[in-house]
Amino acid sequence: MADGRVIDGTPAVRVATGSKSHGRGQELLRVANEADTSVTTAAVGSVGHVGLEPLVMATVDGKTAFYSRPSTERMETIATTLEEETAPAGGAMAVVEHDPATPVLPTPETGPLSVGSRRVLGGCGWLTPTNVDEYTDLRDDLFTDRAKDDPESVRTAVMQSDLRGRGRGDASTDTSIAAEWTTVYETSDDPLVVVNGNEADDHADGDRLLLESAPLTVVDAALSSAIALRATDVVIYLSETETIAYERVQEAASALDAVTDTGIPIRVVTGPDEYTAGEPTMALEAIEGNHRIEARRQPPGPSEYGVNGRPTLIHTPRTFAQIGALLAGNGSSGASSDPGTRLITVADDDSTLATTELSTDATLDAALSAVELENGWHGACVGGVFGGMTRSLDVPASAPGLRSAHLGTNGVVELLGESTCMVALVGERATFAKETNCGRCVPCREGTKQLVYILRRVYDGEYKSEILRELARVMRTTSLCGFGRDASRPITTAMEEFETEFAAHAKGHCPTGICNQS
Amino acid sequence: MSTDPIWEQSHNEPEVPLAEDIAPGTANDPDAGATERATITIDGQRVETEAGATLLDACQTIETSGDVLALCSYDENAKIGPRSECRTCMVETERHGVVPSCSFPPRDGMTVHTDTERAREARDVNLDLLLSNHNLLCTTCGKNGRCELQDVSIENNVVDPRYGVMHDRDQLGPIDDSSPFIQIDRNKCILCNRCVEACNDVQVEGVLRMEGSGDDTRIGFQNGAETMMESTCVSCGHCATVCPTGALLEQGLVDATTLPVPGFTHKNSAEEIVGREYDHQPTQRTPMKSELETQNEPQASEQFTTARADRS
Repeated sequence: MADGRVIDGTPAVRVATGSKSHGRGQELLRVANEADTSVTTAAVGSVGHVGLEPLVMATVDGKTAFYSRPSTERMETIATTLEEETAPAGGAMAVVEHDPATPVLPTPETGPLSVGSRRVLGGCGWLTPTNVDEYTDLRDDLFTDRAKDDPESVRTAVMQSDLRGRGRGDASTDTSIAAEWTTVYETSDDPLVVVNGNEADDHADGDRLLLESAPLTVVDAALSSAIALRATDVVIYLSETETIAYERVQEAASALDAVTDTGIPIRVVTGPDEYTAGEPTMALEAIEGNHRIEARRQPPGPSEYGVNGRPTLIHTPRTFAQIGALLAGNGSSGASSDPGTRLITVADDDSTLATTELSTDATLDAALSAVELENGWHGACVGGVFGGMTRSLDVPASAPGLRSAHLGTNGVVELLGESTCMVALVGERATFAKETNCGRCVPCREGTKQLVYILRRVYDGEYKSEILRELARVMRTTSLCGFGRDASRPITTAMEEFETEFAAHAKGHCPTGICNQS
Repeated sequence: MSTDPIWEQSHNEPEVPLAEDIAPGTANDPDAGATERATITIDGQRVETEAGATLLDACQTIETSGDVLALCSYDENAKIGPRSECRTCMVETERHGVVPSCSFPPRDGMTVHTDTERAREARDVNLDLLLSNHNLLCTTCGKNGRCELQDVSIENNVVDPRYGVMHDRDQLGPIDDSSPFIQIDRNKCILCNRCVEACNDVQVEGVLRMEGSGDDTRIGFQNGAETMMESTCVSCGHCATVCPTGALLEQGLVDATTLPVPGFTHKNSAEEIVGREYDHQPTQRTPMKSELETQNEPQASEQFTTARADRS
């Protein structure tokens, strides 16, 4: 049943999971299938709220009930009740009435599922991930077909936009992608397109969500970009540990290839599950098959000298999804300096909770209603492993807004509870940087080492803030790649926002008590 | 192929060994330097540059206000560098901010300052970072007096490096004294990669490589050997010739310039010596040369290059 269309199926059961609860989701789906009813069943990708998953959606005649993490017995009841064309209301976290043929996830007015827009996430958790037929319900045509008919229109749409790259794995992180597009197009020496989906940052879930739940959106946008830029190859680059994303992207690529017949081969290549391997130039190294991965010297950047020296457009799945939204003509959205939306993943000390889509003119605290927090938070790390520390989330979700608040843009808000010691946390991040950097340039390789030493000396009563700031500044301005440029951000931002904690540590006192325990 | 008649009777297939198995462990860097001529301004002086030139080339034609150190840089015409790793050649441009002059291309109309606070700070901090990971026992080093790191430190008036130097004996790694011709002291290595490029790109021997990452990055051997004598080294000496510090030294010069302090020598200043058992090896060739093997498995699942081949 899972191979057919689920959109018009009624009654229908969807089991939505990301890779983290995939096993449990499969089990629930099996129970639903074994109930041996006429109900249409489908395994769909995550809707973004991984903390609520597996999320079961029961649909009857344009009315859908949502159940978070149901028990096996509950699943059986849902399936059998559905056969009688009603969804059990008890235990549902939300019930939504909608157009029976809607291709986008119907969302309630209130509660976690109501948070944010679903401009690029529309089909996530609602459409069968690799079904081209359902995917085309989202709009009239495929981007790829449009690019085949009129490559100029795709090129112009992107090159005249102010769209900025999303995520650290993008060659145009936070900057206008039009510049990269222009260079690749003008260099026109057998160019290729790379989708960089290798994100080893635990909490940065945006790319994984798109690849698992909406692989067709990403592949379609990438393939149409390739046609528009006269590229002859598309490479989708993933971490070797992403098994579900790998399967679905493969499947989506061959399904799309079958209906569009572009003659452009799409390859799925996997690289090491390491943070460095997601940096754009190190992604190129992994794709070329180098046995040791280190950053590549720039300029010229990948748009002139990419995979095997060919001009290469390298975007993240998040950026391709934004390109898709742009081509779909969903109207302008977000801040004019950074149009579109941004995927923000909210996490707490222990786990990743939910990925929501915020318009770039919204503020980060809008994402907080997507999660239910048991305890409060007294700070947050914004932007992933090398994000910035802050006490306030009243910050725009746009690249310029985040940058001017000295925060990171990799789409993560990590909430830190009262028991988190900021000094210990930034020490862990510095140690991570020291241990995992590629080893090529001095400011990063030796600088991260010194960051750790100097921080350690705070515990001996020696807090040299000026030396730390100077070192961080030089790492930021002179490192060879984004890794070294970002690595000092946790420390410098923590020194601004949590100065008193550093001073207390220098006097031998850790306000949370964590550092005094060992 | 040349059209010179002397080549006409010769084989089309070259009999020189192919370099395909060489895996230096370094990135596939693009060519550095500008693609066209340019006129730029450095510290208020007008400089004309040729195609292929870098900002450093341009800086070296004039008297700059600040000392652009450029420690890891070597003659690019010798197929070595720019590695652009030491970042002691930073200059400030009006359009691109602080950039590494050794590899940054001059572009027409560019304005460059060598003596701004940001550029000077960048060079000073990065030089001190290099020294923080360097065994600074110059008096027992064979490169004393002809060491590029020593030269730029003096040139840059380094008196008290802000991050200290590596001098505790327990911080030091062992010296590789196994080869009768070349000694390796990694405590003095600044990872400039010159030796790796000399070995692979110039001599095409494929012995040395960059290996490890982060803290553990070091110069190693492509066959995975721990010591020079177990490697496939042919003792050509090019690595020692290009080494800017005392990390790679010809054995005969190990104590050539050490100061005569009673009781202190190059070797007893080290924590440990490996490879003593190879003393007085009668041949220049290392035993492993005939059993060439490498340990260079690609990290990616399938090489993209093969993908292109089976497409056609």
